[in-house]
Amino acid sequence: MLLDLAQNTLDGLGAGASYALLALGFTLIFGVLRRMNLSFGPAIMLGCYAATWVNLNFQANLLLLAVVALAATTLAGVYVERLCFAPHRRGSAIAAMVASFALWMQLEELATAFLPRHLYAFPPLYAGGPLELAGLSLRVEAIVMTVAAAGACALLYAILYRSRFGLAVRAVIDSSTAAELSGINVPRVFAAVFALASAIGALAGILIASAHEQVTPMLGMWSTLKGLAAMMLGGLGSLPGAVAGGLALGLLESHSQWYLGPQFRDLTIYLVLFALLALNPRWMTTRSAS
Amino acid sequence: MDDYAIGVLTNVGLVSFVALSAYLLLLAGEMSFGQQAFFGVGAYAGGMLTAMAGLPLPLAALGAMALGAAAALLVALPTLRLKGLYFAMATLAAAEMMRILFELLHLQREIDGEPVGPDGTQGFRGIRWVLEHGIEPEGYLILVWGVLLAVLVIVLFLENSKLGATLRAVGADPELAASLGVSVERFKLGVAAAAGALAALGGVLYAHHNTYIEPRNFDIMLGVHSLAYALIGGLGTALGPLAGAALDVGLLEGTRLFGGARMIVFGGLVALLLVFRPRGLLDEKVVHWLRARFS
Repeated sequence: MLLDLAQNTLDGLGAGASYALLALGFTLIFGVLRRMNLSFGPAIMLGCYAATWVNLNFQANLLLLAVVALAATTLAGVYVERLCFAPHRRGSAIAAMVASFALWMQLEELATAFLPRHLYAFPPLYAGGPLELAGLSLRVEAIVMTVAAAGACALLYAILYRSRFGLAVRAVIDSSTAAELSGINVPRVFAAVFALASAIGALAGILIASAHEQVTPMLGMWSTLKGLAAMMLGGLGSLPGAVAGGLALGLLESHSQWYLGPQFRDLTIYLVLFALLALNPRWMTTRSAS
Repeated sequence: MDDYAIGVLTNVGLVSFVALSAYLLLLAGEMSFGQQAFFGVGAYAGGMLTAMAGLPLPLAALGAMALGAAAALLVALPTLRLKGLYFAMATLAAAEMMRILFELLHLQREIDGEPVGPDGTQGFRGIRWVLEHGIEPEGYLILVWGVLLAVLVIVLFLENSKLGATLRAVGADPELAASLGVSVERFKLGVAAAAGALAALGGVLYAHHNTYIEPRNFDIMLGVHSLAYALIGGLGTALGPLAGAALDVGLLEGTRLFGGARMIVFGGLVALLLVFRPRGLLDEKVVHWLRARFS
């Protein structure tokens, strides 16, 4: 009983770490642009598909695959920014979002044009079984994911608070008009933020694909939905909130799955999300991005 | 007309209902990711009313529309004061809950020795009212478009009335509208209910066209597509959402112009189009120009 509780908590935190990474990428984009990028997940999917394609044809090792995924996702991310977000910087948020949805369809179809099957194997992160510890089993993937999420968080923090570029990003978050007036090249900050967020997304994608040992065409939608849900749960637009939201989503999923079953798991997530939004507590509407 | 063309045209008509539903809310300044849920409510309710309760289709449609409006009110009441992304996410969460509830819905009845009714993820088979009443595909096409045109005439008429002006005022500047004496919250609730009923009407017609429905017909893809149709077609007139649906479902999917690369072409084109026309092809400017030209 207690052991189950502990085991589920452990599993939930492991999954939550990957959601936290997705939410970090989402939050970065939303915090800076105040725009929703529906193509975030599909860009990650494209990156993972590119890595899968390289793996199928050249049998590369995981590190090289990660580089391929990183490059392809970042490229796709910057392409999305140029076509969907740069032109609507001062304009309609809805137009930008619908444009990013249009590119979602495009990226997804591009990926499946190269790899049309419904499922492809992906090399595992760690070939051995889980670690046993005091009756609990701990997947190595979960440890790696947690370390990666913590590392990405620390790196992001260092970039945002210890570099000139970070200062510019925070200035843009505060007020893009004021930032522009003080000589910051706002469009360039936007593009750079997109590249950074895409790189974090690619890291999440490669970890998820290798932990699940497969990629499917659903990866794009899955990443977008999980990232969005985690970002909303954590209070839109704050980086520590994104991590907390990701972990909360993971915990909520593992416990509701255990006690209520898979269908009720998703129902629980959406119910909690809906209730939080409807009750609209203060912490969900804080708009500071750091 | 061959069967294929009839099928494509029917589908354009059916999806136009959800697009119109999303359009109404966009005019009121709200972006909903959840209109597919009311399309689903209409499909399930309508199918159950004809196939299981033995009601005629028109009565079933009325019942389904009432239920769609009620469900939309239920979602809108706690969420309408949310703004932008918050409202979009709340409606998405509500719609996904609805879809999962369809997955959990098992309510079958033995009719003529066969179980009829929703069977969870296995879907809902045997919505045969249209077949049983000898309506041919051509006849059903005319029915769908007849209902759609009737709806369009009503919406176009209302758009040119004081109600339409109020709707656009509420969407463009709710505070100004409130200062002019519009009860913004109640007005938006009314719009949400009407949009829910409209989506449900489309759902009833969809269920009776397909004879088989399943929960994943009503997933987020349908919702985002309908939002996209409304925006691509244009926010200037109720003909916009139809134009959007016709462009994608009719022209690109229907003619198989680009084969498997349809979305690679269409996705890029839509993103480009929105750069130059952020409120769609038939936006307010074009509509005003056309109206000045032809009246």
